[in-house]
Parts: sequence; structure tokens; C-alpha cells
Amino acid sequence: MSSPSLQIADLSFGSEKSPILDQINLSLDAGHFMGIIGPNGAGKSTLLSAIAGLIQPSHGEVKLFGKQLNQFSRHKLLKQVGFLNQLHEHDPHLPLRVRDVVAMGSSDYAAPLWRRGNIRDAIMAALEQVEMANLAERDFRHLSGGQRQRVRLARALVRRPKLLLLDEPSAALDSKRQDKLYGLLRTLCSEQGMTIIMVEHDIAAITAYVDSVACLNRRIHHHAMQGEKIPDDIWHAMYGDHIHIVAHDAGCIGCAQPVEGEQ
Amino acid sequence: MEMLTQFFTSQVMQESLAPAILISVVTASMSVMVLAHRLSFLTVGVSHASLAGLGLAVTLSLPLLPTATVTALLITLLLANIPKKQGITDDAGIGMLFAGSMALGVILISTASRYEVDLFGLLFGNILTISSGEMQWLSLVGALILGSMVMLARGWWSIAFDPTTAAASGLPVSTMRMVLYGVTGLTVIMCVKLAGIVLTTGLLVLPAACAWFWGRSLAGLWSLSVIFSLIGTLVGLVISYHKDWPSGATVVMALCCIFILSWGGAWLKQRVQKHKEQG
Repeated sequence: MSSPSLQIADLSFGSEKSPILDQINLSLDAGHFMGIIGPNGAGKSTLLSAIAGLIQPSHGEVKLFGKQLNQFSRHKLLKQVGFLNQLHEHDPHLPLRVRDVVAMGSSDYAAPLWRRGNIRDAIMAALEQVEMANLAERDFRHLSGGQRQRVRLARALVRRPKLLLLDEPSAALDSKRQDKLYGLLRTLCSEQGMTIIMVEHDIAAITAYVDSVACLNRRIHHHAMQGEKIPDDIWHAMYGDHIHIVAHDAGCIGCAQPVEGEQ
Repeated sequence: MEMLTQFFTSQVMQESLAPAILISVVTASMSVMVLAHRLSFLTVGVSHASLAGLGLAVTLSLPLLPTATVTALLITLLLANIPKKQGITDDAGIGMLFAGSMALGVILISTASRYEVDLFGLLFGNILTISSGEMQWLSLVGALILGSMVMLARGWWSIAFDPTTAAASGLPVSTMRMVLYGVTGLTVIMCVKLAGIVLTTGLLVLPAACAWFWGRSLAGLWSLSVIFSLIGTLVGLVISYHKDWPSGATVVMALCCIFILSWGGAWLKQRVQKHKEQG
């Protein structure tokens, strides 16, 4: 039996008195699509950074594909990981064609110049997935925010990762594009066995696509599977007592089931 | 035509052409990374700070270029390790090292009585007085810089575009940045021979700045940058020979003119495109 794509054991980050992440335990098999929700400052991006090897946890360990992530294994293991970090408002200053941006995501992009492989087909395939192939020759600086975000996603996909980490990938996308994006991610999990962890704020938008939702606020308060209700006290523990919970969709992870006969 | 014939038949110019072309190709290649990583101020700082190395060489009767190279390397590595987390930013660190090293260099050079110092040559460059030993040293350093570019250019490029994603894909970003700083320091020393301490930044910024209007990929920018740099160097040297102007300053001036032409050309191209779209 193959190892889980991701195993996190007893992971903490930050000072002992006020940790940013506190005793996180998680195991995801290949093909699992998990959403992470939580309030601002809950440690969602920090958790993705720890999985991507960008920060060193103060306690605990991260295993990717059965192997511990450390400074010796990170180069090899991270070749199988795609990463899309949070979109910051920045003005890209490098003059680059869209296809060159996507090429940067290939696993051997940083190899010496004489070891250039032919990755044009892979680049175009990744651009097709995000419906940007027709703009492959365009200057990346001249694209809109939403188009740039789709190109960044293609860059994460071009290496055909086994594990894909996405931090608010729908930022700058309209609702139609958001649905298309989640649909694509669902297909990648179901058909290619890709494991995806996605940080999002809108649980209602992702609920039809993901297999589970982790409720994070420094620690994982609850990990709800598809069709499971998230108890009210979990919502209050994460967002505070002032929130009012309204159920609006029977199939929604975390929503209360409607009373029979009431629609 | 006569001007060119005189230039190419001149013994001094024939000897200075090879090192000038070497410096031109190497600095143009690195200038792409200088612009991509916004290291222009670093090159200003290191070039001025190298005066401390030249001062040490003059005081201790050491060979100029190797001593300046080692000093520049130490200064850039010191800059790469500035305690940013304590709030000392890159530009503040460069400012401090720039002033401190320059002060040390001025004191050392002013107290050197046994040595004939070509201060004008140090400050503004003089490719016409290159010795065979210096040429060997430049070839060695040039090969090292171009070798680093061939090995690491795409990694550096990817870090310039998005350092977080580059780190998440397994690249050792901090180490690669440190190497980039070191190689930039070496390139600065190469420039000092042609353009001097004061004008070095021109050779390390202008070629890529000219190419920035036209290139759309790393390979495109790199080749255009080398082409612009070679044109600027050759035109500058020919004019400097003909008018008897200082070679370094004339080369930098020629590159400035190419930049203005390139900027004007890009602006014109944009206007024509807009006109076509509207029409």
C-alpha cells in the first residue's frame, strides 16, 4: 500500500506561549481535495508554508509521500509539489511572455543552460487547462489581475505535481472563473490522483468540490468530511460568539441539514 | 571610414580592443541580473567601496586588480549578510559600507608616498593602459562570471520573478542570492578597468536597460544586452580615440545615447501600434 501524500505529526510553529500553529495532525491520501478555512491570522498560509518547506516548524514533522521533509530531502521532494502563494498586489517588472512564466514552474527550470529539455508541450497543456493558451506569447505585465492569477496557476500545474498547495487561488477571479477553477481542481484529484490543499475563505463556494474541510485557527478545530455537519461550537471557537450561523444548502459541508419538508 | 581605419591600425587600440570586448560581454550579461534583482545601488556601493581595496594594494604594494577583487568580494558578502531582521535594510547597509570603505580608501591612497597612483585612471577607468598580467586576471574572472551565468542564470531569473515560489520549488534561494551578490562584486571589479570606480554602474545597468524595452525572455534580454553593450563599447572607443576623450567616460556616454534611442524607438513603436489599433 502506498504512503499518504502528506502526513503532519504534532506540528507547531511560533513561540510556546502564543503559537501560530499548535499541534497540527493531518494525513491525506493521494487524490484527496481538502479545503482549509479560518479567520484572518489563523495560520492558514503558515501551514501551507510549513508543508512547502518555506519555514521550519518549531516542533513536529512533515512527511511528503512517506519521506520526512528536511534540508537534505527538500530539493527532491519539492519537485513533486506545486505551490501557488497568496496573490500580493505587485507590479511584475520582468519583461516576460506568458509561456516563459509558466516554464518557471517546470521541475528542472533552474538547471544549467545546456540541460534545457523540451517542455513546450507541457507548457501549452498547462495553459490549456486554465484557458490561457491563446495568450501564450503575450507580455505577462500587460495581463489583468485575473489572467495573471490563471497563468500563476498554470505555472504550478506545469510540473504535474503529486501535491498541489494553493493559497486563495480564486483571488482576482470572477465567480464564473472560480467555479471553473474548482471544477478543474476536482478533476485533477479524481482523474490524476493529485492531492490538493486549498486555503479559501468562502466555504459555500468550495463545498461542492472538496472532499473535506479543515477548520483552522492556530489548531485544527475540526476536519469535516463531505456531507458532515460542522458543529456550531466549532464555528464560534474559530470566528467568535458574535457570528450567526445560517444554513442554506443541504449538501454544503458545515451547513446544518434542513428540517424535513422545509425547502 | 578613415577614422575607423586609423582606429584599427593603432597599436594601443588593437591591444585595448580584446579586454574592452571581454569586459563588455561579461558586464552586459550580468547587467540583466542587476536590473532583474534591482542591484543598481549595490553596484554603486561596491564600486566605490573597492577604493578601499585599491588603497590597500597601493599601501602594501600588492597587485591592484587581485586585491580589489578580493576586497569587493568581501564587501558584497558582507552586504548579503546585513541583519535585515533588525531593520538594517539593503540600501542603508550599502550606504554605510560605501562611505566607510571610500573613506578608508582615500586615507590609504593619500598616505601612499612611495607609489605613483593613477587616481584619474582609478576613478574614471583607462583601458589603454592594461598590462598582460591584468588581461590574464580579467580573463580568469570573466570566465568565472560567464560560467556562473550559464550555470545559474535561470535560477536567478526565477528568484527575481517570485522568490517565494522559487523557494517552494526546492531552490536554495538564500545561497543563490549570496552567490549572485558575490558574482556581481566580481563584475564590478572587471568594470573598474574600463569605466573606473565612478562610472562602473553605467556598464552594469545601461546595456540591460536598453534591452528592457525590446526583450521578452531571459535569452532575448541577454543577447540584446550584449549587442547593445558591444555597440556602445566599440562606438565609445572609436570616438574616444578620434577625439582624444577618456575611454571609459566615452563608452558610458555612448551607452547613454543608445538608451535614449532605444527608449525613443520603443515609444515610437507603441504609438504606431496604438494608431493601428485605433485605425
